Amino acid sequence: MGATEVVTKKPTISPLEATLRVAWKRAKQVWTQIYHSRNAMAGLIILLFFASLAITAPWIAPYRPTQPVADATCSTLPVPATYLQPPCPAHPLGTNYNSNDIYSQVIWGTQISFIVGIASAVVATVVGTAVGLISGYVGGWIDEVLMRFNDVILSIPWLVLMIVVAAKVGVVDLTGLILVIGLTGWSVTARVIRSQVLSIKERMFVERAKMLGAPSSRILVRHVFPNAFPLIFANTILTVAVSILSESVLAFLGLRPPDTYSWGRIIAEAIENAAVLYNAWWLIVPGLCIVFLVFGFYLFGYALDEILNPRLRRR
Amino acid sequence: MRKVLRIMVRRTVNAAITIFGILCLNYVLIRLMPGNAEANLAPHNPQYAGYLADNIRTFGLDRSPEEQFVIYLQNAFTFNWGISYYWKQPVADLLLHDLSWTLLLVGTSTIFTTLIGMVVGSFAAVRRGKPFDLISTGGTIFLYGMPIFWLGIVLQLAFQKYGAISHVFTWWPWFPTQGYWDDPNTGFPQVWAWDWTHISNVLWHLVLPALTLSLGTLAGISLVMRSSLIDVMTEDFVLTAKAKGLSDRQVLRRHIFPNGLPPMVSLIALDIAFIFGGAYQVEWVFNYKGIGWRTIEAIGHLDFPTLQFIIVIGGVAIVLANLFSDFLLLWLDPRIKIT
Repeated sequence: MGATEVVTKKPTISPLEATLRVAWKRAKQVWTQIYHSRNAMAGLIILLFFASLAITAPWIAPYRPTQPVADATCSTLPVPATYLQPPCPAHPLGTNYNSNDIYSQVIWGTQISFIVGIASAVVATVVGTAVGLISGYVGGWIDEVLMRFNDVILSIPWLVLMIVVAAKVGVVDLTGLILVIGLTGWSVTARVIRSQVLSIKERMFVERAKMLGAPSSRILVRHVFPNAFPLIFANTILTVAVSILSESVLAFLGLRPPDTYSWGRIIAEAIENAAVLYNAWWLIVPGLCIVFLVFGFYLFGYALDEILNPRLRRR
Repeated sequence: MRKVLRIMVRRTVNAAITIFGILCLNYVLIRLMPGNAEANLAPHNPQYAGYLADNIRTFGLDRSPEEQFVIYLQNAFTFNWGISYYWKQPVADLLLHDLSWTLLLVGTSTIFTTLIGMVVGSFAAVRRGKPFDLISTGGTIFLYGMPIFWLGIVLQLAFQKYGAISHVFTWWPWFPTQGYWDDPNTGFPQVWAWDWTHISNVLWHLVLPALTLSLGTLAGISLVMRSSLIDVMTEDFVLTAKAKGLSDRQVLRRHIFPNGLPPMVSLIALDIAFIFGGAYQVEWVFNYKGIGWRTIEAIGHLDFPTLQFIIVIGGVAIVLANLFSDFLLLWLDPRIKIT
């Protein structure tokens, strides 16, 4: 009699709600671990700093990236001009040959780095996860074909691949750039996910689900994917860092969408205008921004990997 | 022994398939590039008049696509790679010359990266959680996050002959920032000779590019070395070794290193692809005319006959490096033979 009372008191919850509750509990556990990890917190603080810079760019940047400045207060030329001014209080990093304020360009560049980095990491992760899941779970000749293709992609120097794909897609806008970086950067992710899936596949609960007659698609979606998700997430954050670096290299080599001032492009323009001779800050500051943002993503990503990856957790 | 042989055959077949895949993908990529492949490979520009008929014949451009593919494969294996109409030289000669310089650069920095990375990684693993570990891990990740081209430019700024630093401190060393060698007397590359002055000049020019590449790729080795050793440290036999009274040093030398080092070989080989990618940027920044410099230049000039095999040569180099590491691993790590 007592048992029935308990059942009526506790209404049954839907499977979705149960999943969400478990996820929420797990997220809280992970957050505690992040909070106590020095590396993760350091990375997170760097990321929050740059994220706030990206969001508040319209208010804190004095000029728009392509807007010419009107004053020539800092010019050291015999006839003061608005272009190529050296750093001074009015323009902390000087102005470029188009009279654009470089300090403002650097602040706006934060947005481009975040957009390109995150979007192309998502593209790479979606493709990589799909290939890794299928390859690892299905196995057989499909696995063989996918992995050989992956080997080919991994062996061709990624920079060449990217340049050729960019030449084909024709980097006219940000979307093209994101696709180029994402579609050439999935092979490492695919390998990592595949090896994880191979180990998940052997676990008891997958065996049980198979025995109960669950179709492969259900096992993949309900069992394998949720168990690989933490790893996928940590890997995505590391991919963001790689994507930001790729973007800067492409911009440096001349593949830049018009009117988007990324940090890579600012450095490239500084070099093309021999800034080392008169205004080294033009190329040093955007470079440091790339270094610190990527450092933040790496710190956070590696720490998260250590927390979420069960193989490492037992230590 | 039979098992080893079977693994070796399997790896070799895989490498061959991968090389074939690279050749196929490359064939498709070149034909995907903007414009008409036939016109690109043999441009009808009067400037290149002498090469038109020659390249049409070499690549079989007047045949059907299927025949072209067969001719392409044939050419690839016979080093009959056509003539670069921009540099006006046979592509094979050009690329093999470039490859020797790239291999010098990549080889030197791979050796340095590996040695320094393994030392730093193992010290960090042994002192896990101690200040050395935190600083070295943080430091290498920081270097890992640097765009390699930017690191190169900053090093150029710091070590150029008439830079700001050497202006203030007269003892500050300087290094050449351009090219791979010059005549010590005139300052221009002239006639090569195998004597000490020329060889030391090459090494002198190698310092900054190799340093850039090594610093930029250090983290790949040291972080993996650290986690590989830490992995081994949690194994039960390490605990047993400690329990039976071995000193930390003995445990490290007899139990941890022999088990933790072999996996590094394949990871270093995987890293070579990454180092090659970095070499493209370094060569461009330092005007070090290897494969990477040639690639970027060839894309700029749309020199398709050169581009056609430049992708293959880099890919094949990486596949062969991986195959070599697999064989080395087979010899080093007895565990593979059992599983």
